[in-house]
Amino acid sequence: MTAIAQAAPGPWSVTTRVIVYSAIGAALYALFNWIAFAIQIPGTENVSVRPHYGLLTFFGFAFGPVVGFLTGFVGNTVGDQLAYGSAFGSWWWSVANGLAGLVAGVFPFWMASRMTSTGSKAFWAAVAGVVGTVVGFLFIWIELIIQPELGFNTILTGEYIPVVIGNSIAAAIVTPILVLAWEPLSEQLGR
Amino acid sequence: MRAAFRYLGRGSWLARRDPRVLILVAVLFVFGASQVRDVRQLLVILAAALGYYALAGIPWRSVRLQWIYLLVVVTIFATFNAVLTGGQAGSFVGTETHLLLALPFGLTLTAEGLSLAASQIVRYLSFAAVGFPVAYAIAPGDFGVALRRLGLGDRFAVMVDLTIRFIPTLSTEFGETIDAQRVRGFDPLEHRGGLRTRLRRLAPIFVPVTVGSLAGAEDTIDAMDLRGFGTGKRVWYRQLAMDRASWVVVGVFVGFLIVATLLNATGLSEHYLLPFLVP
Repeated sequence: MTAIAQAAPGPWSVTTRVIVYSAIGAALYALFNWIAFAIQIPGTENVSVRPHYGLLTFFGFAFGPVVGFLTGFVGNTVGDQLAYGSAFGSWWWSVANGLAGLVAGVFPFWMASRMTSTGSKAFWAAVAGVVGTVVGFLFIWIELIIQPELGFNTILTGEYIPVVIGNSIAAAIVTPILVLAWEPLSEQLGR
Repeated sequence: MRAAFRYLGRGSWLARRDPRVLILVAVLFVFGASQVRDVRQLLVILAAALGYYALAGIPWRSVRLQWIYLLVVVTIFATFNAVLTGGQAGSFVGTETHLLLALPFGLTLTAEGLSLAASQIVRYLSFAAVGFPVAYAIAPGDFGVALRRLGLGDRFAVMVDLTIRFIPTLSTEFGETIDAQRVRGFDPLEHRGGLRTRLRRLAPIFVPVTVGSLAGAEDTIDAMDLRGFGTGKRVWYRQLAMDRASWVVVGVFVGFLIVATLLNATGLSEHYLLPFLVP
């Protein structure tokens, strides 16, 4: 019998699997964005947690940076289109969502040696979600150029900090839950 | 509940144009209108955008709630921004601000802040007027081929196509999962308890819907692989053609982008202080 050696796809390959997982991630993210789940954090005025944000970091962490980026970028664009009829009106937020997924997706490749068990994977998934959020949403500072009505203070206190806090909480809780649920199934499926 | 791109503008003048036109127009418009700050110019742009919107023939009753929701959200955000910045983020002539109301915590409501809010609200409404036809006047099955013909790669075009096709299916699965949990006496959407409790309560819907759709994706992946997806140049069944009217529409919006860029570059579109607000 001859064994056929097949190289594992790298983090940046765009295979059929990447296309389909991205489409599912983007569809779920758009759907939940449209339904607009949001839980206000008690004692705050404008900080709310969107639990479905954890989907984005999960797709990045579990399936790689390309899936993470496309889930965030396309999911947010399509979600905005469904909810507000304006896919490109806030395109920089879509890019920021995509970058958050991308950073969360790069993380497992850096940390591969430390993820030895399902538990450690779940832990690093939470870390990846938070780091992805903090880094990815830095992109919204482009508003200083394209939305001059918003000053530095508004972007910092009205947008960046509330979004990063709310999304980090969602990522830290939801991403590991989904990793723990997906791991056994992915082994069954042979992935 | 059913989330999907509804083809509300079927048969309208815009729907008969090449779908690439509607996508291109939305992109050109966003980049153009983002550069305009003067609320008087923005009002002219909004009027033109509404004229374009009318060509899509979208029935008002079908999108009324969406417009109201959009107006409320944008107004709240713009007012919040006006209060937080006190109007100092604008590019008004002069540095003096006109105080209308002093608020707690050192916040102020100024004529400049409200003028900024007016600019933002008008701009977002014009974005929506040009964006709605993308959602409602393009046949959902045409998005993929339109993106491909706009120069994006086959894989990305197929991915967007699949996303749009998956949304109604996943929406149905989501509704069924909620119903299944409610039949068991558990309401995942109940508005009770603290943050942790409410987040934990959502897990029984997020996990099955996500994991179930991923497991189901294997069939789609296998079907695509068996048909040799990605191994060669993809042929799209649907053919698109730009007619003369399509070119004219694109030309008008390219012209708009050029004018808006010139206005911005020459400083002819700075923020305008609404005179009736000045005490």
